[in-house]
Amino acid sequence: MSAVLEVSNLHKSFGGITAVNGVSFEVRHGEILGIIGPNGSGKSTLFNCVLGQLMPSSGEVRVDGKRTTGMRPCDLNRLGVSRTFQLLQVFPQLSVRDNLILAGQEHQGTMYSRLIGRADAGLGAAADHMIQFFELSHLSAEVAGALSYGQQKLLDAAMAFMAGPRLVLLDEPAGGVNLSMLAHLRKRLQAYHAERSAAFVVIEHQMEFVMALCTRVLVLAEGRIIAEGEPADIRRNPLVIEAYLGR
Amino acid sequence: MNRVGVAMFAMAAIFSVAAPFMLKPFGIYLISMWAVLTVAAIGLNLTLGYAGQVSLAQGAFVGIGAYTAALLTQAGCPFVLAFLAAGLLTFAIGWLLGYPALRVQHHYLAFVTLAFTTLVFLLLRNEQWLTNGIYGINGIARPAFLAWSTAKPLNFYFFCLGTLVVLSLATWWMLRSPWGRAFVALRENPTRAASLGIDTRRYTLMAFAIGSSLGGLAGALYAPLVQFIEPGSFALNLSFNLLLMVIVGGSGYFFGPFIGALVAVLLPEWMRVAESYYLIVYATLIMVMMAFCPSGLLGLMERLLQAAARRGQLTPALRAKEAAQ
Repeated sequence: MSAVLEVSNLHKSFGGITAVNGVSFEVRHGEILGIIGPNGSGKSTLFNCVLGQLMPSSGEVRVDGKRTTGMRPCDLNRLGVSRTFQLLQVFPQLSVRDNLILAGQEHQGTMYSRLIGRADAGLGAAADHMIQFFELSHLSAEVAGALSYGQQKLLDAAMAFMAGPRLVLLDEPAGGVNLSMLAHLRKRLQAYHAERSAAFVVIEHQMEFVMALCTRVLVLAEGRIIAEGEPADIRRNPLVIEAYLGR
Repeated sequence: MNRVGVAMFAMAAIFSVAAPFMLKPFGIYLISMWAVLTVAAIGLNLTLGYAGQVSLAQGAFVGIGAYTAALLTQAGCPFVLAFLAAGLLTFAIGWLLGYPALRVQHHYLAFVTLAFTTLVFLLLRNEQWLTNGIYGINGIARPAFLAWSTAKPLNFYFFCLGTLVVLSLATWWMLRSPWGRAFVALRENPTRAASLGIDTRRYTLMAFAIGSSLGGLAGALYAPLVQFIEPGSFALNLSFNLLLMVIVGGSGYFFGPFIGALVAVLLPEWMRVAESYYLIVYATLIMVMMAFCPSGLLGLMERLLQAAARRGQLTPALRAKEAAQ
């Protein structure tokens, strides 16, 4: 299977500190790749370099074979790459429905055709479908800021899927979510994956969530990949145990 | 818009049409000034209230628009062309002024725009060959459209009101389109907005350019309204006054500038009964207003309506419990 994302020898330094140190990996079409590692291992920096939030010091990123290193996040999104952030990033003053329409509208026509076109950019039905898919129908007209934390997490994830991306990078989707909401979130992600066969990359600390969701796992420590494999193998890997628990 | 909003809008529409027939010429001048400054405040509300870009340059754009219209009409150009030229020129300058907003935000951006206002003031004052310097430009004629002249105060008021309605509708259309949602996203979280494919650079520049253009169009109405313009009218004071209108009315509310301009234009006049103390009374009222309703008068009204609706939904038992707390 061909790679939707290729990361080659990526480095990122902040002054004297190297946060990402020669990381290379690829994500295949339809794969769910988990990236785990202790705090400060460079996971979020790696995400930010891949997604254009940070310019890597060196190395290369390719999406569907096209070089995207340093590309602006909005241009990457239009290539079919979507993301969520470690901290909640919904638009609190917009309704749930408007958050979802906003998440997809820039993929409809040109900037100028959107000005004279429909107010919902032709995405009303798609937003309603997504609201139903994530079981948020009773909250459709509520402003996002009035939702509970778990509901906002669901909305955050739904927004990442609104434009029908081929690759979705989820930064700690389970962070701060209670166990029942977590199971619900995982089922929704799996259902979306089964329906659209988009590739996912998931950064997460919640091991049960990673093991249940991901088909392959990378382990980062001190900016390097120290292990890679299937979830069951990673769980038993002594290098991984050492990275998390120390000697 | 809910039923309360529709009723208020209808009342305001009837009042704005009927009021001038009950007013003396100075009163008509004041409500004409309200209509003109509301256009400028709508522009600032777009830039600041919706797109979240702090600007202390709106007064300068009113000045550029006023001088453009005055110079062109005195050179024999029809008012309609001068009006459009004022809008286009301020759109272009506003677009350029938007570039610093791509690098700096909040109070740093405020200082950039403040410097721009000072620069425009100095240009208007010092470039005498073009602007006539501190002597200003006199005798700016009010336009005529075929057989209809706006020379009389009442006619000019209706001309300003008509222009306000057209520009308000155009702005409303834009804000209800995906652009409006993108501007709000830009204000609330530009990083997330960019990750959703929103070209934050282009929308920032567009917010500046369109907001500035509305300032320029307001200036093109201001010049024939007052019929004499000089640089001092467009110094920092006007920019602060326009900012006050947006904040007092309710930043980010569509009707905020209408209410804010009403307060900023009419309140000082009503306060004149306090004679030399009127500025002190006015400033105190503004401070109290900001302390108790920082989201502006429309924000306050929204809170009160929500509270009333909530109380209406409460059962007697819950109401008793809430009262006990």
